[in-house]
Amino acid sequence: MSTGILTVDRLSKNFRGLAAIAEVSFAIQPRSITSIIGPNGAGKSTLFNLITGYVEPSAGEIHFHGRRITGLATNRIAELGIARAFQIARPFRDLSVHENVRIGALFGKAGARDVAATTGKSLELAGIGHLAQQPANALTVGQLRHLEVARAIATRGDLLLADEPCAGLNPTETAAMIDVLRRVRADGVTVVLVEHDMPSVMEISDRILVLDAGRLIADGAPAEVASNPQVIAAYLGSPEPEAA
Amino acid sequence: MKLNPTQTLLAMLAAAVILAFGPLVLPPFYVRVGQLMVYSAGLAVAWAILGGFAGYASFGNAAFIGVGAFAAGLVEGNISGIAPPLLLLVGLVVGGACCGVLSAAISYPILRLRGTFFAIAMLGVSHVCAEVTNNIDFFQGSLGLNFPSVVPGDIDPANYFYWLYLAGGLAVLLIAWQIRRSRFGAGLLSIREDEDTARMLGVPTERYKRLAFVISAVLTGMLGVIYGHSLGYITTESVYRDDTNLSLIVYSMLGGMGTLFGPVIGAFALVFITQVLLARLLDFHLFATGLLLVILVLAAPGGVLGVTRSFSLRRRPSPVAAE
Repeated sequence: MSTGILTVDRLSKNFRGLAAIAEVSFAIQPRSITSIIGPNGAGKSTLFNLITGYVEPSAGEIHFHGRRITGLATNRIAELGIARAFQIARPFRDLSVHENVRIGALFGKAGARDVAATTGKSLELAGIGHLAQQPANALTVGQLRHLEVARAIATRGDLLLADEPCAGLNPTETAAMIDVLRRVRADGVTVVLVEHDMPSVMEISDRILVLDAGRLIADGAPAEVASNPQVIAAYLGSPEPEAA
Repeated sequence: MKLNPTQTLLAMLAAAVILAFGPLVLPPFYVRVGQLMVYSAGLAVAWAILGGFAGYASFGNAAFIGVGAFAAGLVEGNISGIAPPLLLLVGLVVGGACCGVLSAAISYPILRLRGTFFAIAMLGVSHVCAEVTNNIDFFQGSLGLNFPSVVPGDIDPANYFYWLYLAGGLAVLLIAWQIRRSRFGAGLLSIREDEDTARMLGVPTERYKRLAFVISAVLTGMLGVIYGHSLGYITTESVYRDDTNLSLIVYSMLGGMGTLFGPVIGAFALVFITQVLLARLLDFHLFATGLLLVILVLAAPGGVLGVTRSFSLRRRPSPVAAE
């Protein structure tokens, strides 16, 4: 397997006999945007949980920047530079937007940090600089998604795992989120998305991985994956025949 | 109005200086009430380092008052020939160290629990410590333990302990303030808000919780040493008190859970209400206190500072309108 910023090698996770992830291998190239798609229950969020150390794999290895991170504590993985934005936004509700993002800047990747500058930059990059002093519990769903991304990128990670950042957003909000993710990549961060919104996935991705029942069934460029018969059968489906 | 760090420090020191004049102008009864106020405030702030900042509400911090007091009493009773201030210092170091060792030892299993489970487990710790002190002769918990006097000859003991509590309370407040402003404090807040997310952001949650627990226990134990000296004679019942366990939570709820000054405001207010306003109601005063607390918690769940904060937030434009 070619090496990348993140390499996953024959990774498996079983929950009481059920294979949530089975022998999955891939490598993520630096400064790319990779989307992971698949039907519900395919193992996408479990894959993120494994990479971030939230659950331990049953078998297999994960390397980040060439260093084995399998079995490391979640906070140690964050210190190495892997950031995560959750599927269901989990803001620190009693704190302001600025305080939420500042905590990301205070911790995250180890090394020298300029907390104030990182906080401000992350808020602007995520497009929520104007909301900095608002309490997080007063934000709309769309704004919370941006806060989730802002707090994750404030950790100065080299890799952002974004779990369905466009879920529940209207087309305008989705376009804004896509724009944010592009800016994040332009800032030097590698992005891996789990996403169901196929137009967004096709628009933003350099590469798509398709999971089905815990197995990697396709891996390639968007056009290549969209025409893959196995992917069409498992996830995309055939286009409806037009009515006469 | 938000104060900068220098202004906050000056405000705390100025308040302490003003309070220090209390014994010089107040009648003896109010000096006793003042003692209880500043002692309770110190305990409440020490409790809040873990309970308020990190959201791990302990229902058993009286354990550390008892361990601190008994450890100091036992050691000081076997020392002779040193000056009273030095003897007190030895007691503070021994009491604090014993609480530090105990809390560090139990932190590994007990901080794996969260919420109600942690609170009840701490109540269990408090009761176990009380039983050990009561049933093992070495600790003299059932018979009682005398403290040597540490009061300089020409000072009224009530005034002396008022000032001692005030100094101790101020020290606890300054330590809590520094924690609140630090990276460590921000990590504790993130643990309170969502521990799993905090870990995902790189917060070393286990280490921070343990450190906050040990700091809280050491400070509580040192205040327990002063408490033991102020009583002069302690038994198991006088230091391992469940009403203290309850009060420490109530002070923060009343003043503002998770804030720095909320526990101080809550302790001052509740001690004043129970010891002064309702003191003449005899048995009825516990009922009245309970009723008052229920009303306050229902009407202002964020405490006094929560009400103040919600007023200031209402003045801000809504985030939707700000878009």
